[in-house]
Amino acid sequence: MSYGSIVKVPFGPQHPALKEPEHFLFEIDGDIIVNVKPRIGYNHRGIEKAFERRTYIQNIYLAERICGICSDAHTTCYTQAIEDLLGLDAPPRARYIRVIVAELERIHSHSLWLGIAVHEIGFDTFFMYLWRDREAVMDILELISGNRVHYAMNTMGGVRRDITPEIVPKIISSLDFLEKRTKYYMKALRSERTVLKRTVDVGVLKPKDAVELCAVGPTLRASGVKNDVRGDDPYAAYDEIPFNIVIDDGCDVFSRMLVRCGEILESINIIRYALDHMPSGMLRVRMPMAVKPGEAVSRVEAPRGELIHYVKSNGSTRPERYKVRSPTLANIPALCRMFIGQHVADIPIILAGIDPCFACMDRLVFIDVKTNKRKSLDFEAFSEMVRKQRNFRLA
Amino acid sequence: MRREDKIVTKLREKLKEKIITINVPRERRIFVYIKPEALRESIKFLRDIGFRHVSTITGVDTGDSIELIYHLALDGSIELSLKLKMQKEDHKVPTITDIIPGVVLYEREVHEMFGVNFEGHPDLSPLILPEGWPRNIYPLRKKYTLEHLRNLIFKEEDEK
Repeated sequence: MSYGSIVKVPFGPQHPALKEPEHFLFEIDGDIIVNVKPRIGYNHRGIEKAFERRTYIQNIYLAERICGICSDAHTTCYTQAIEDLLGLDAPPRARYIRVIVAELERIHSHSLWLGIAVHEIGFDTFFMYLWRDREAVMDILELISGNRVHYAMNTMGGVRRDITPEIVPKIISSLDFLEKRTKYYMKALRSERTVLKRTVDVGVLKPKDAVELCAVGPTLRASGVKNDVRGDDPYAAYDEIPFNIVIDDGCDVFSRMLVRCGEILESINIIRYALDHMPSGMLRVRMPMAVKPGEAVSRVEAPRGELIHYVKSNGSTRPERYKVRSPTLANIPALCRMFIGQHVADIPIILAGIDPCFACMDRLVFIDVKTNKRKSLDFEAFSEMVRKQRNFRLA
Repeated sequence: MRREDKIVTKLREKLKEKIITINVPRERRIFVYIKPEALRESIKFLRDIGFRHVSTITGVDTGDSIELIYHLALDGSIELSLKLKMQKEDHKVPTITDIIPGVVLYEREVHEMFGVNFEGHPDLSPLILPEGWPRNIYPLRKKYTLEHLRNLIFKEEDEK
């Protein structure tokens, strides 16, 4: 029923339901959303411009810091683009290690998301359990790379660290634990009335709309469209590893939960297969400092969907142009469609449904506490400052 | 015949002299350079043969003009980059939001970062840059260096 008068309700950039700043302006008729306008950019850090200033080696670490959750997806995409330009391939063992780390990242990202999703519907017990179990996969990542967030595994021409035979049994036993828990959670999701009441038929995205609005990743697959970069445009070792693309045709938030749970199980199988069939050999090939003129498009299936990088080189040691399009931006038009006709109370769970990641960190800005003056530093000035401080401490 | 070659043949038949160059650097990658007036026709044709997904639109400042690259995907697998170079000093190009609605934000992004005017776009209001960002300053153009942009952002605050 219509109340005849439209009320505008701003949502964000600061809002308890948002984990990162983002603004949506909802137009509401009674309790029903009739229109929504997104305003993004609260986390814009000018990274594409920064890419043009740094060398290809420095850019690996910049790419890693585009996002804290899918840091490995960005470096995989970046290194692939540069390898493509140079016409070189990573050695087979490196390609398998890339797959293993990417899938571990997918498991941790999907568990993190599932936790947030149930938290948004007020089911915090479930959230605590999920995040406790997520530590198992974080521990494996730390075991392999030494880091929990920025793994720094990828480099141009291969990977930086090996997965040694000693740690393989530890990985396998953690995977067994995760598989058992994920199956239990899937059962719990399907039978828990709180979850069903809050997610079934909420935030519906029809397959036709999903394709038209260029949605990607689990959001697209939960609308019944079989589309996955790993299968369609294989990179790393995905062409040698058998796996299923998980889809669900419920088109609602509940389907998005099931698809991500299904993908966790699928990732576990991929890692097991990769560990079993890992070829021996070297980890990386040498790459030249300068890259000959050319252009390349690189795609990766990040946990949130298709990630695409474009690079244009001019023959020097720095790229001429670097473009990044993360999966969340691709899903915003679809998200706006999902909101229409829904209740205000469902905004948080629908928003969480696409697993938004509004990038993570501002550019380097320092605030001098005494004068309250802000200044920003470029890379050279920053290293100089660190050097001075270090000398000061040593002296 | 490879799938890529079939697409290239179809494109050549349809667009003929409107194509400047076609390059297939490796499997599943095609780069097509077209004349700017053929944009809408090419996008419509590509959509009808299965390129329904636009991954993104990239702008490139080449110094004398601005190049646009439309990255289209065929059922997720073949990535075709449709390139065009805009008229000098007249950065205008027709919108394709009516053909593929999913590009609505990509066009706004390029509009803000490069000052490209997408004619017919329903809403080109600011999307990414902060409120109060000066008009006619497009941060990804080469002529704006980091120092320039930094002064622009912090000058006001330092004066306070």
